Amino acid sequence: MKVKLWGTRGSIPSPGPETIRYGGNTSCVGVTLSDGSLLALDAGSGIRSLGLSLSDEPARLHVLLTHLHLDHILGLAFFAPLFRPQTEIVIWGPASPEASLRDRIARYISAPLSPVEVRELPCDVSFRHAPDSEWEIGPARIRSASVAHRGPTLGYRIDDGDSSLTYIPDHEPGLGADLDRLEDDWISGFALARDTSLLIHDGQYSDSEYPCHVGWGHSALGDALTFANRTGAERTVLFHHDPMHSDDFLDRFEGEARERWAALGNDPATIELGAERAEYELPAQVAKATVIA
Amino acid sequence: MSFVTQRPLELILARNLMSALSTPAFLVDEGGVLVFYNEAAGMMLGKRFEELGTVGAAEWGSLFGPFDESGEPIPYDELPLVSAVRDGRPAHAEFVIHSSDGASHEVEVSAFPILTAHGSQGGIAIFWPTQADGNGAHPA
Repeated sequence: MKVKLWGTRGSIPSPGPETIRYGGNTSCVGVTLSDGSLLALDAGSGIRSLGLSLSDEPARLHVLLTHLHLDHILGLAFFAPLFRPQTEIVIWGPASPEASLRDRIARYISAPLSPVEVRELPCDVSFRHAPDSEWEIGPARIRSASVAHRGPTLGYRIDDGDSSLTYIPDHEPGLGADLDRLEDDWISGFALARDTSLLIHDGQYSDSEYPCHVGWGHSALGDALTFANRTGAERTVLFHHDPMHSDDFLDRFEGEARERWAALGNDPATIELGAERAEYELPAQVAKATVIA
Repeated sequence: MSFVTQRPLELILARNLMSALSTPAFLVDEGGVLVFYNEAAGMMLGKRFEELGTVGAAEWGSLFGPFDESGEPIPYDELPLVSAVRDGRPAHAEFVIHSSDGASHEVEVSAFPILTAHGSQGGIAIFWPTQADGNGAHPA
């Protein structure tokens, strides 16, 4: 399984000279399974570049949406494969009592926000509520679970061979709780992340910023570290960077994360901040993740 | 792949909220098992949840009585939390409980089911002292 970060920013695209190294595109991760199948995790502005990297050969793609906040879907209308008749796209996302996944996404891909309507998309697109159980895509087993964020929100775990990727980009597991004291089964997202090869997890706020953002659905660094440590993730990528955080800030933030990660008894090389275009390879038979770019 | 089963998110969030309340509150899962009560409820019962742990359906009612106004025990199936989970409807009742110090207190109980996109996930009951009982069951 190969993993590539196409967008690591949270909230709103933040291009500019201050965000060149970690990137300004919002959430999107490309996952190539061991049989070559392609998944896109979220459709933030980063999915535009992912789409442009693909050939126009007939293909079947899966887009797994964690939730429908704008920073996670705003690239969808600019995802080139949606405009290729030879492409089949399955869009997975959380159910809501309010409306179907298709209808909720159509609020964005419709007038006056978009010149194109969902029904006009040339590709063969379908919308599916992520089941409350495990399912298969190609050689991978996919599992979703509701996680603590505002509105219906999922985290995903993808197991392919011996390796696994857990993706919980928007997550506030410490809301109203002390993560050090809770039992495992009472921690939001724990089951998804348990012993995973690669955990991509919300790390939007510093501990000093968090008190002004309690309940907004994102993690303080301390909670992200506690979550990763308790779940036993082999490698952790902190993600969904705050749009106010410059590259220089994030360099310091990563340094702090590594120091605190080491203080918890871990190898500081196994935690980092997600950078746009970074790639990870999770070998099918070896559980260790290695950075290849 | 080995998974720890995660509690439904709605129960997790309910527990987190209840942990911050000064009003006695109880949480059961979809099977009626008592999976959490808060510190205020622990003071009322004389035992913290961490000491007691989960309590099976049909067992937890006896932790605090309860009794009707004539002193007769109220059957488990008639407790508001049980009917709320069973019927998917809110329920309210007044009854008498015995707190850990042996005193009797009149309380009002409101219970409601936790209904989600995946169906019922359990229910919550919150206890208030009746106006006649004053501060009996409310520690704050």
